[in-house]
Amino acid sequence: MLCTVPLIIAQSALSAATPAVTPADFWLPIGASVQAHNVDLMFNIINYICYFFFVVVVAMMAVFVVKYHAKRGTHIRTDGITHHTILELSWSVIPLLICIGIFFFGFRGYIDLITPPKNCFDVNVTAFKWGWQFKYPNGAQSDNLVVPSDQPIRLVLRSNDVLHACFIPAFRVKKDIVPGRVTSLWFECRIPTGLEEKDGYHLFCAEYCGMGHSDMNRRVLVLPQAEFDAWLVKQAAWLDEIPDEELYFKAGPKIYARCSQCHSIDGTDGLGPTWKGIWTRLTTPGGARFSDGRSYADLIGAGKEFATPEEYIRDSIYTPGKHLVAPFGNVMPTFKGQLNDRGIESITGMMQHLDEFNAKGVWTKTLPPATTAPETK
Amino acid sequence: MTTIDTPRPEVLDATASEDNYLTHTRGFLSWALTLDHKRIGVMYMVSVLASFFVGGVFALLLRTELLTPGRTICSAETYNQFFTLHGAIMVFLVIIPSIPAALGNFVLPIMLGAKDVAFPRLNLFSYFLWVAGAAFTLYSLVAGGFDTGWTFYTPYSTTTTTGGVIPVLVGVFVLGFSSIFTGLNFIVTVHKLRPPGMTWFKMPLFLWALYSTAIMQVLATPVLAITLCLLIVERTMNIGIFNPAMGGDPVLYQHFFWFYSHPAVYIMIVPAMGIISELIAVHSHRQIFGYRYIAYSSVAIAMFSFIVWGHHMFLSGQSGLMNTIFSLISFSVAVPSAVKTFNWTMTLYKGTISLTAPMLYALSFLFLFTIGGLTGIHCATLNTDVHLHDTYFVVAHFHYVMMGSALIGMIGGLHHWWPKMTGKMYNEKMACTACIIVFVGFNLTFFTQFMLGSQGMPRRYYDYQPEFQIYHVISTIGAYTMAIGFFTTAVCFIQSLMSGPKAPSNPWGGVSLEWQCASPPPHDNFSTVPHVGNCYDFSVVRWDEKTKNYIVDHKLELAHAEQGSHR
Repeated sequence: MLCTVPLIIAQSALSAATPAVTPADFWLPIGASVQAHNVDLMFNIINYICYFFFVVVVAMMAVFVVKYHAKRGTHIRTDGITHHTILELSWSVIPLLICIGIFFFGFRGYIDLITPPKNCFDVNVTAFKWGWQFKYPNGAQSDNLVVPSDQPIRLVLRSNDVLHACFIPAFRVKKDIVPGRVTSLWFECRIPTGLEEKDGYHLFCAEYCGMGHSDMNRRVLVLPQAEFDAWLVKQAAWLDEIPDEELYFKAGPKIYARCSQCHSIDGTDGLGPTWKGIWTRLTTPGGARFSDGRSYADLIGAGKEFATPEEYIRDSIYTPGKHLVAPFGNVMPTFKGQLNDRGIESITGMMQHLDEFNAKGVWTKTLPPATTAPETK
Repeated sequence: MTTIDTPRPEVLDATASEDNYLTHTRGFLSWALTLDHKRIGVMYMVSVLASFFVGGVFALLLRTELLTPGRTICSAETYNQFFTLHGAIMVFLVIIPSIPAALGNFVLPIMLGAKDVAFPRLNLFSYFLWVAGAAFTLYSLVAGGFDTGWTFYTPYSTTTTTGGVIPVLVGVFVLGFSSIFTGLNFIVTVHKLRPPGMTWFKMPLFLWALYSTAIMQVLATPVLAITLCLLIVERTMNIGIFNPAMGGDPVLYQHFFWFYSHPAVYIMIVPAMGIISELIAVHSHRQIFGYRYIAYSSVAIAMFSFIVWGHHMFLSGQSGLMNTIFSLISFSVAVPSAVKTFNWTMTLYKGTISLTAPMLYALSFLFLFTIGGLTGIHCATLNTDVHLHDTYFVVAHFHYVMMGSALIGMIGGLHHWWPKMTGKMYNEKMACTACIIVFVGFNLTFFTQFMLGSQGMPRRYYDYQPEFQIYHVISTIGAYTMAIGFFTTAVCFIQSLMSGPKAPSNPWGGVSLEWQCASPPPHDNFSTVPHVGNCYDFSVVRWDEKTKNYIVDHKLELAHAEQGSHR
């Protein structure tokens, strides 16, 4: 396989020193993971092969057209050859050998790309319509992916509803997220970014998932190990650090950001019922109707399915499809395992004080003075 | 061997104007109930071009929306419907039927010297199935539209609240049968209706391509039909086949879908390759280089097409071993494609090249297909595909193949056989200008998308990062440029129909049988069984200045044959 020899030489020569970062160029964005360099190398080798064949074909075409074009009616020349077995075999066999070479190096690179080292730090990633949640071993949660640098990271990917895909262009990694399956990808980044969102690397959803598909962009923020450890401890405790009576306006709006894609506060229509006046509807007879014809009052109250409105809300968040408010469809994903009791308390508290929030879910009362919020959004 | 070369061309043209397939009978019903393959081909062509217009409007709408990040003209829901409709219409209503059903129907029996296809009634039935499928697709717009993407991936497609999903699934199901029947018809026609003397390796290469396509249509499309049925069952009766919430598996759907849709990609491109073989040979008046290799490569592509579907699923959770096998097999498609490309290029060598409008389209095809084919290597290679999968790079790659190659091939073929179909010539300068505008617009639109994709922009995005905007702006300008090009083509064709000069029987100097009957052909195509020679031997062709027509002189051919036997 003579023609694969240059490939081998090129690859071994260039992969000898793997730099931590490859700068952005005409074709590729910045490569910030340890794997990026090999992928880029392969991409560029293929590119040069393509340039070569493209130039050969187009140059031949151009030369022949210029040389042999003739006005209509010119005597038709008949001295061309009809076939040439060696020529034809050569342009079957040479491309075949080149292809086998490319396949082989692509395969080798792929094995490196998908095989995580043993000492990975795991982050649980849940994708849903339309957002991400990143959960850490100590129970901390985040909306952006925050990871330590110089440490292999394994993302364990789950979906709550439909297909999604986790794509981090700067790391050259991507994996589909299939509901009912657990998939994973790994990377290692050596360039810390800090906690500023604008400095982070893009994380996209790459498998079409409906209306908010393009809103599923988050940032990957990379911290040095020590800073990351501190962030992790602080992040795990954020709900516990807020006093009970301040939960609804400090934690509520942050959690509501996830609900706001479907549930409005100001009464506008969404994919789910608006929150406007929800507490009145829940606590007065009549209320909204379910698709099976029953009303809130039939379900909520002493001796009924739910003793209190709070219990009903909690159940709706954990098993959203059980009772559907007419005329809405069964589209809400479950938040079981993502919102604990304090989180739900923040939500129900916010529902009871909706007059203190504007349409975007921002708390508009000024007392007591606002304290610093946790770093991530 | 009394053949049609005995009457002089003037006489031929005189008879053509009196009685041809267009004037043979009159009235709406004579078209709606026709069994004439030429009329069915023309009806297909009109319908396909109308669908192309609709699909093109959706393309312009979505390109306009992508001019700026965030909202430009419509909401995310509307944008999702735009790209879904653009894809579904272009794939199922335009590209798949465009060459086999429209051009193939017209040309295939004439190239064979036959009076019609083997089953004329089945042929008409498949046209009406197409109309029914198109009607369902249109109805789905009224029923609430659909935003599933043309791939209908589950579980999104079984849970989305848009109301048009079931109608469009039924529509595509019906369109599939239209495609199957056309394929069946062509297989039987090629086997049974070849004239005496036309052996397999004397067939024009377009027929080899149509034959390979027909095999794929017949073998692959039923799988799509079954898959869509299962999807309808899951959506209407809540039986869990693909939705994991009900115990199904979404990856199973992807296997089923791509088992059809990968061969479908070749159902679109192989007939275009056949057209290019004709165009390049006829317009450079030069025996096609390496006939057998090109013929075999069509069949090879048809065979490989069935065993590479897994490369659409490299990231879907399919095992690493499967990915490796599918990657390796996918590379095998590169070989027949390379063979074809080099053979076409070599055909130009020592030719007598007329730079006509069809030839410009053929050269555009060569340029664009080379880019489309070569960028397939990036996508078949496992580690680079991880980065490029589901980005604009893939969008650009398949547009270079599906539009830059399949559709450009179709439009080149339409320019090539237009004089035969309508009996009218068109303004060639205008047609060439249109071709150049389309070519420039196409590259502006889609070359930028390679960069968008490799820079990391995922496909099917309503909103995007500001750093991608410059590429999107250029791409949108390109899309409008292309629209101007196609509009010019439309004007050119309408002008030709209204006031174009009469077409001679053989304006380009072809030797295959369709150039030996009148333009437009009479109702029965040939009054006697035509003479079958070597359809790529252009030494028998001479230009007649008086009639502005090429004449196929079989006496020359006989003389050559004798000379050959003396040697």
